[in-house]
Amino acid sequence: MRSKLLTTLLALLFALPFVLLALLAVAPAWRFPAALPAAYSLGALRDLVAADNELLAGLGRSVLLASVVAVVATIAGFALARAITRAVRPGRWEALSYLPYALPPVLLAVLIQPFIIRLHLSGSVGGVLLGLLLIAVPFATLLLRSFWTQQAREYEQLARTLGCTARQALWQVLLPLAWPLLRTALFQTFLLAWFDFGLTNLLSVGKVRTLTVQVFTYVGEANAQLAAVASLLLLLPPTLLLWANKNALLRKTE
Amino acid sequence: MSDLLRVNGLTKQFDGQPVLRDIAFGLAEGEVLAVLGRSGCGKTTLLKILAGLETPDAGTVLLQGENLLPVPPNERQMVYLYQEPLLFPHLSVFENVAFGLRIRKVPRAVADAQVRTLLAELDLAEHAQKAPHQLSGGQRQRVSFGRALIIRPRLLLLDEPFGNLDAQTRADMQQLFLRVSRQHQITSLFVTHDSREALTVGTRFGYLDRGVLSTFASVREFIQDPRTNIQAELSFWENIQQTAVLTP
Repeated sequence: MRSKLLTTLLALLFALPFVLLALLAVAPAWRFPAALPAAYSLGALRDLVAADNELLAGLGRSVLLASVVAVVATIAGFALARAITRAVRPGRWEALSYLPYALPPVLLAVLIQPFIIRLHLSGSVGGVLLGLLLIAVPFATLLLRSFWTQQAREYEQLARTLGCTARQALWQVLLPLAWPLLRTALFQTFLLAWFDFGLTNLLSVGKVRTLTVQVFTYVGEANAQLAAVASLLLLLPPTLLLWANKNALLRKTE
Repeated sequence: MSDLLRVNGLTKQFDGQPVLRDIAFGLAEGEVLAVLGRSGCGKTTLLKILAGLETPDAGTVLLQGENLLPVPPNERQMVYLYQEPLLFPHLSVFENVAFGLRIRKVPRAVADAQVRTLLAELDLAEHAQKAPHQLSGGQRQRVSFGRALIIRPRLLLLDEPFGNLDAQTRADMQQLFLRVSRQHQITSLFVTHDSREALTVGTRFGYLDRGVLSTFASVREFIQDPRTNIQAELSFWENIQQTAVLTP
């Protein structure tokens, strides 16, 4: 009975911010000290489907950026993790992979901004992409290092003696073996790029308005309703990804 | 009998440390060369060089007179079997065994028929659709063996393949190996640290110590060589037997 009560209380605490977000999204005017909004309107949500809606464009931009970062970082991380494993001094390379985490992303952005400007990528999607990859690639590399064990090497060698070319060994054996870890890397690097604000805001100089950047803008402008709608949109892809990966995530905790 | 495999002057060093020193031997078709050796004697390096997974510093490897060294591992038709069965967890037992045929793009109907026949021969027919994790250790090793046999390897390289099995399963696998090798006339190089296993599976014998391979002309020579420790082991069991007889 007590544990049931505790579970319900925890579930309520977890759900409360989402309920508040949903209420804010449909409340054009909800002023303190009213406990509930005085009026409700679906106007802001309806505006989402308008062709020139900036929020929807931001959602598209964010999905594109985060997806490209996830795919490129995972592929690069997989290859780099393998190269590090086979390097003469793998420990040194691994330590180097931790370097981007010694700095907060926004400070990293400050440091790389001069290079981004010289590359004529300042304020462009390419510039933001490059910045995000600087964080996501080492992350994926470190995550995927655990795949390249001696056993992975033996699987690869066995596949070669069974008749696989190096490419076939990769596609037919190594990638299926690594898939659970690759999926985790894709998911986590996607989230890393998806929720980034500091680095994206600085490198984009206000020109690449991702959804996360827009949430911060609306919060800054005290536009609670649009901030709530943007936040709900921001939650959508991670929720879908969590749902799609629920089996793998639950299996891990067993 | 002419040699299927001829190895001469094979040498390999790692970081200046010699691992193989001037290895030379020949192997005729259908023979099983059982190589006895302790851990770190160079057994794995020797097998990997033959499989094309390592390159030697010097020496020649000829298979039916053809220089094997420039040939990549996938074209050597030599399968390297590890101590672990290393079954592909994303494939069923059937597809694990069929793997080599699928890679070679053998027509599906032909490949499936060959796999079914081999699975029956290895007493695995009822496990065909199972996932590898549903099998026992011995069954997994049999699948691994089947996956190697299906491509009709010119040479089978076995690196202590039954080392992780319990005594009974290990004995069963040795008998299975013997039966299948004779039936399919498989030529193999079988390395082990167990002298009993070497005597069970081998038709010829070798002893590898600190990178130097000695081959023996007969079983008697192999048994009598003090390095193989077989005489000492025989004496041990004879003493045990005598003590048991004398003890009331």
